[in-house]
Amino acid sequence: MSDPRLALNFCGLAFASPLVLLSGCVGFGEEYTRVQGFSNRDCGAVCLKGTTGTARLGNRPHRVYETSQGMLNAIGLQNPGVDYVIQQILPTLDFSETRFIANVSGSTLEEYHEVTRKFDDSPIDAIEINISCPNVREGGVAFGNDPAMSARVVAACRNATDKPLITKLSPNQTDIADNARRCLEAGSDAFAVINTLMGMAIDIESRRPHIGNNQGGLSGPAIKPIALLKCHQVYQVTKNHQIPIIGQGGICTAEDALEFLLAGASAIGIGTALFYDPLVLPGINQGILDYCERHHIDHFSQLIGQLQHY
Amino acid sequence: MPQPTQRDTLVVEQARILAHDAFDGAQYILRVQAPLQAARARPGQFVHLRVAPQLPLRRPLSIMRTSARAGWLEFLYKAVGEGTRLLARRPVGDTLDMLGPVGKPFQIRQPRPVLIGGGVGMPPMIFLAESMRRGPQQPLVILGSEVPFPFQARPSQIIIPGIPSAVIGAMPLLEDWGIASRLASLQAYPGCFQGYVTQLVQHWLDALTPEQRQEVGLYACGPEPMLQAVVRLAADYQLPVQVSLEEYMACATGGCAGCAVPVHHAAGVSMQRVCVDGPVFDGYTIYPEMACNTDSISSEYS
Ligand SMILES: Cc1cc2nc3c(=O)[nH]c(=O)nc-3n(C[C@H](O)[C@H](O)[C@H](O)COP(=O)(O)O)c2cc1C
Ligand code: FES
Repeated sequence: MSDPRLALNFCGLAFASPLVLLSGCVGFGEEYTRVQGFSNRDCGAVCLKGTTGTARLGNRPHRVYETSQGMLNAIGLQNPGVDYVIQQILPTLDFSETRFIANVSGSTLEEYHEVTRKFDDSPIDAIEINISCPNVREGGVAFGNDPAMSARVVAACRNATDKPLITKLSPNQTDIADNARRCLEAGSDAFAVINTLMGMAIDIESRRPHIGNNQGGLSGPAIKPIALLKCHQVYQVTKNHQIPIIGQGGICTAEDALEFLLAGASAIGIGTALFYDPLVLPGINQGILDYCERHHIDHFSQLIGQLQHY
Repeated sequence: MPQPTQRDTLVVEQARILAHDAFDGAQYILRVQAPLQAARARPGQFVHLRVAPQLPLRRPLSIMRTSARAGWLEFLYKAVGEGTRLLARRPVGDTLDMLGPVGKPFQIRQPRPVLIGGGVGMPPMIFLAESMRRGPQQPLVILGSEVPFPFQARPSQIIIPGIPSAVIGAMPLLEDWGIASRLASLQAYPGCFQGYVTQLVQHWLDALTPEQRQEVGLYACGPEPMLQAVVRLAADYQLPVQVSLEEYMACATGGCAGCAVPVHHAAGVSMQRVCVDGPVFDGYTIYPEMACNTDSISSEYS
């Protein structure tokens, strides 16, 4: 898919489409190319799995469970560590097809800084800071739910790179707009809104949680209305600063994507929807184009933030 | 230059239901038309399908039989959870959104493979047996079930040394293919061995010469306690063993790590994805505790 009406300049990076494949849903970038008819060319960028300073095994099974119109996951940031990712995985990625974004996590400020610094010295196109992972004991959402701490993580990463820096915000907090404001001041170039919401599901026969980690992160259509509002709230903070938002949370169709664009997102994250339908991307791209045509719009970006309040 | 990364091993097809039959114990045999996957599928692989629109996350289902020529695949499943119950209601003529074939197939390395299937673990064993129909191996298939088998057991014409003489019940399909099979259950089903599948295999192993025993390999799919017992049996007789695992899945393409299980190697533990690194694994790497000598463990703690 390369239609000039969908092309996007995202923090200086050329995205062929506003669609971004979300961290944790597409492994380290090429897993979905197992599927005939799927192509990384159909999206503007691919976010790699959350990466930490050293390898992590992640959580015990079960790690995923379907709930009404959504799913819980508690992977626990399983990853081979930043050095392995840079040395063994990045050279296998086809950068001619799309942009690749690293997703950085850590238990300490130092770890966030160090992982970001290593990615800065790699071919990766941009860096997303995950301060909103609900499935690890330290770091993750524990940082992301505290605006002052969030800003310190962003500052530590900002210190380590000149590449575009995207902060992925947690919906599990009282005032996401305040958090966004602090992260913006600390040097974030963009935002990803939202990560998963914490949730649980119980097997009433065994009286145990379905998820090995007891609780997990909820994603999919069930969280879309929440994600849309949070995205719009963050947009109120970013709109005068030319800071783009990757809207995400339950987006499955072109209509969902258009809602997020109107609410203020510049790019559209696709995660759980790929599990439902690995060939979902072309239809969303086409649906956005059809809408533009129907409304006599030359370029999709003219829709960003065009929500009319009552 | 990077290697070409597009792999194209999986396809999505709208699979039309050709037959869907119910059996005792909420068991169903489903046959669908999906020519691309029928042509590619290998024993041990599975498909990932949307059972109903209201459950958009797909469910994995192991493949029992295929006809590459006629373009169909067949599955056996038990309606146990919400997903399989919804699937059971889909009538002939409906289409199912189906991704596959997923996973690494079994690798037959021994001339005397023993295929052990328990409950809904039977399908991959039947597929594996069919693949050896005209091959050089002499497979033996042992099936276990605690609900009536989803076929009418037939007295076997094939004599299997070591198997108790009253145990004559065989699966007709396998019998027609000339493949030796026997059935086991804790229930007293006529002609079936009353006991565990592993006990029946043990009878057979004990009747072999040491040379014959060196040619045996175990292949198993079924509930976890059965797989553990199979690995214990393999360890006792020092046989190679491959097991096929089940785990909750989201993507079935290797993208989410949602299906990862601990795999034990000399170097330590790694988490491997059942969907693309499995579902078939070396049994000793999954249940290393079954390979330990229990005598030495108990003496250590006494
Ligand atoms: C299985 C799974 C694993 C995830 N892993 C990560 C991760 O490693 N880092 C991260 O920032 N977000 C992770 N997420 C969150 C997603 O990137 C995304 O923000 C969230 O799922 C909402 O979008 P969706 O409803 O379209 O899936 C994960 C989500 C899922 C479902
Ligand atoms: S189900 Fe996603 S990696 Fe296996």
